[in-house]
Amino acid sequence: MKSEKISLPHLIGITCCLGLALAAHVSSLPPWVLATIVLCAAIRLTLGLRNGGLPPRWLLMTVSGLAIALLWLRFRTFTGLAAGTALLALMAGLKLLETRLKRDFYIITLIIFFLCIAALLNSESFWLLGYLIGTAWLTALTLLRVTTTQPAPNWLLSLRFSGRLLLQALPLMLILWLLFPRLSSPLWNFGVGSHSAESGLSDSLNPGDITELAMTDDVAFRVRFATQPPPPSEQYWRGPVLHDFDGRVWRHSLGLPARNRPATLETEGPAYKYTINLEPHQHTWVYTLDWPSEWNLPGAGLTGDYTLVEAYPVSRPIDVTATSYTHVRTAAPLSREARYRDTQLPEDRNPRARALSAQLRSEHPDDLGLVQAVLDMFSKQAFYYTLTPPALGAESVDDFLFNTRRGFCGHYASAFATLMRGAGIPARIVTGYQGGTYNRFANYWIVQQNRAHAWVEVWMEPRGWVRIDPTSAINPSRVEASVNDAVGADEPLADHWQRRSGWFGDAWLRLDQLRDLWREQIITFNQDSQERLLVKLHVPEPDGQKLVLVLSGALSLVFLWLTWQLKRELNPRSPDKLARSYHRLCTKLAAAGLARHAYEGAEAYGARVASLRPDLGAAVTALCRQYSLLRYARQSAHPTLSQFQAAVRAFRAGPGRVRPARARRPGSPGSSRS
Amino acid sequence: MTIHRRRVYILPTRHGLMLAVVLTAMLVAGLNYNSNLALIFAFLMGSVTLVTMHHCNRNLLRINVDATLEADAFAGSDARFEFVLRNDSKVERRDIEVRCNAASAMSVIPAGESRSISVTVPVARRGITRVRQFELRTGFPFGWFFAWTYVYAPLTIYAAPIPKGSRALPSAYGKGSSSYSEARGDEDFSGLRAYEPGMPLKHMAWKVLARGGEAAVRSYSSLAAQPEWLEWSELEGLDDEARLSQLCQWVLDSEAASRFYGLRIPGRQIEPSGGAAHRFACLRALAAYGAASSP
Repeated sequence: MKSEKISLPHLIGITCCLGLALAAHVSSLPPWVLATIVLCAAIRLTLGLRNGGLPPRWLLMTVSGLAIALLWLRFRTFTGLAAGTALLALMAGLKLLETRLKRDFYIITLIIFFLCIAALLNSESFWLLGYLIGTAWLTALTLLRVTTTQPAPNWLLSLRFSGRLLLQALPLMLILWLLFPRLSSPLWNFGVGSHSAESGLSDSLNPGDITELAMTDDVAFRVRFATQPPPPSEQYWRGPVLHDFDGRVWRHSLGLPARNRPATLETEGPAYKYTINLEPHQHTWVYTLDWPSEWNLPGAGLTGDYTLVEAYPVSRPIDVTATSYTHVRTAAPLSREARYRDTQLPEDRNPRARALSAQLRSEHPDDLGLVQAVLDMFSKQAFYYTLTPPALGAESVDDFLFNTRRGFCGHYASAFATLMRGAGIPARIVTGYQGGTYNRFANYWIVQQNRAHAWVEVWMEPRGWVRIDPTSAINPSRVEASVNDAVGADEPLADHWQRRSGWFGDAWLRLDQLRDLWREQIITFNQDSQERLLVKLHVPEPDGQKLVLVLSGALSLVFLWLTWQLKRELNPRSPDKLARSYHRLCTKLAAAGLARHAYEGAEAYGARVASLRPDLGAAVTALCRQYSLLRYARQSAHPTLSQFQAAVRAFRAGPGRVRPARARRPGSPGSSRS
Repeated sequence: MTIHRRRVYILPTRHGLMLAVVLTAMLVAGLNYNSNLALIFAFLMGSVTLVTMHHCNRNLLRINVDATLEADAFAGSDARFEFVLRNDSKVERRDIEVRCNAASAMSVIPAGESRSISVTVPVARRGITRVRQFELRTGFPFGWFFAWTYVYAPLTIYAAPIPKGSRALPSAYGKGSSSYSEARGDEDFSGLRAYEPGMPLKHMAWKVLARGGEAAVRSYSSLAAQPEWLEWSELEGLDDEARLSQLCQWVLDSEAASRFYGLRIPGRQIEPSGGAAHRFACLRALAAYGAASSP
């Protein structure tokens, strides 16, 4: 019985569910895996339509063997998330090919569930969760229809039933999710980062990279200031610092140890305390306000360039509380190696730029004058700001400075640093983000990818490293507005958030507030959150043991509720209002010793009561008459239900005496004439 | 009788156990990656499973069962038990299976209705089989769990011997009245007897009844006067089962011919009569032959 064959509609149903689950993996699965699965499904459905048999066993074995071998060649492992998902997806496809019995159907269902969870492991998307829960719902629906006796109830009823199961499972799920003990560290590390793409800035700068970022609205991080926030013009969020230039691309210094001890800083001005809610970007660095001095991230440390880095790539959303100063001076002098490194230029590249620096150097012997001269050049000459610059030739800096003169922050920072180095001034490029959008509804700042920015730090005696943002020097009249709203990405001084005004801006901010809430309450929920929850529930000194106790208590309560809920539906159908009201009348009369016999109709009963208790006769006869009219006559009958109910409520049988002469023993035959 | 909570048992099926393994793997994956969304999904699926368990258990609760306690059959054929399941609740009961002696039948009982399920139990040998209990079970929904309950009821199967044997009815050769068989078609009408349930309707005095009289049966002198005795002792030379088979055949033949007949086997004698009830009594007597106790 358990191995009945399944019919074509059910086969199509489960194939669709599998397709829905796989759709969540489309971007991460190798295309040939998807192609294999689609092919398997097509073959199986064609066979099903033609009512043909299954493909021969040897073919199945060959295809499986081939697929698994290919998978091994591609991933060299089966344990990682990417390889495991691909293997699972292939298994589902091949299983589909030999699906014939209910048993196979159960297995595919389980694979679908597992594919869903694999898609969620590295995701934070509310929509993906909703989508996959929907997929699970449809899968359950299909399973329900396959496993119940045929004919199954119609689709809508099945949908409602499985939906009800999901709804009834919600409280239980909530309790488990809130209180189930979490692991403080993973049991196995399968290389979490391999599955999801890196996002945000990278550790190299090729003018053109940032354009792609400027087009995206994704949130890089959100900031909550505990103190007064710095003015927008000082909100520079520091990322990786780039030293090595090959004439075209700037790279993070390869030759230097990653953790050089940073020089101590003398701070000026106010300290800014804030919390960064960083989205995962699969890089080790953590963005902080320029320049960071304290942070609460164990395992993280500053590089010699004052970039905060984590021990592992940030693959989960993290919250970092830090303190920064926007005005600092570097106390220690620049080391020889550092000075050498930050004045290096490739000898054979960009000759015209180098000539220009040499010329500027001879005109401006002091560093400050030289910096000012270059900034003036950007500002006074016809340099344009655009997000769609023309392509640059092999000598990119020369091409930019003397031909195209159109670009964005990457181009200006690159050109500026080149000119400085050419003049012997140590210069390095800092990448990160500038500014942020203030959410006035929830008092935090949103920093999106389109605020990605690059600026330059030059070494000026005696101050040390000084931030120069050459992009800000461009005359605002030469900013070419793009169709895309993201044009403001490189406008450090523009109050970008003001652009988002009106109801659209408000709606966007509200939406981001929801996203932030989702992130804060759901995505980053962890052991600490559980402890805070227990404290809120007045559990003293919460620990793991108490958590389990509270969990079991809550689970018992939910089970009780569920049992009660399900039992309630087992009660017989309640009678309608009219029947209840009539029953009430009978009860009142029974209390006066005039119980209705089971066989008595309403009017016969009324007549009997009238003969036994003449004092009640008129009232009872009328009520019984009304009841039969309401029950059996057409809708337009004179008395209404509410009148009848009111009359029954008002009726009092009273303690009158039953006339003994005509009273008969209840239940004796012959007392009925109905 | 009504199914009570304490008597419903539930266990996961093979598919349920597989699901449990997958759910555990999902939980471990969610915990290992510390992914709250994966955990939400895993816990949701786990909760659905637990809710399903409750539904499966509830599916049997408060069902009212009535059963025919006795079933007649010939050896080698099927005995049929009728079970009437009543569902007074507001929910449909799907996939309710009644199992009885390894035979089973399944039905859906809509809310507030009752359904009759007949289970045909194959009977191999002659004799009386007592089934002390039957089982209600359900795998609904999803077949991840199955719930079952035992209903204790004295179900009895009377398996009569296979009707077989070529010997003619005793009247055809015995008692010396060879002319009787020829004159069988026009026996003398000898009077009316009061009707008793089980008498052949063929002999019903409809006209008397139509006139408003008591129900009566026409009685024929030949039948009334010469009840036919189907005797064990007349079947010399056959073994017990063959005798029983022959007697069974005779009972059927006599009934088909609307005769009055009696049965005499060792330890049991059934006075001559006719009709369906009499026939059943005779067949049950044949079934019970040799059994420790008779019905």
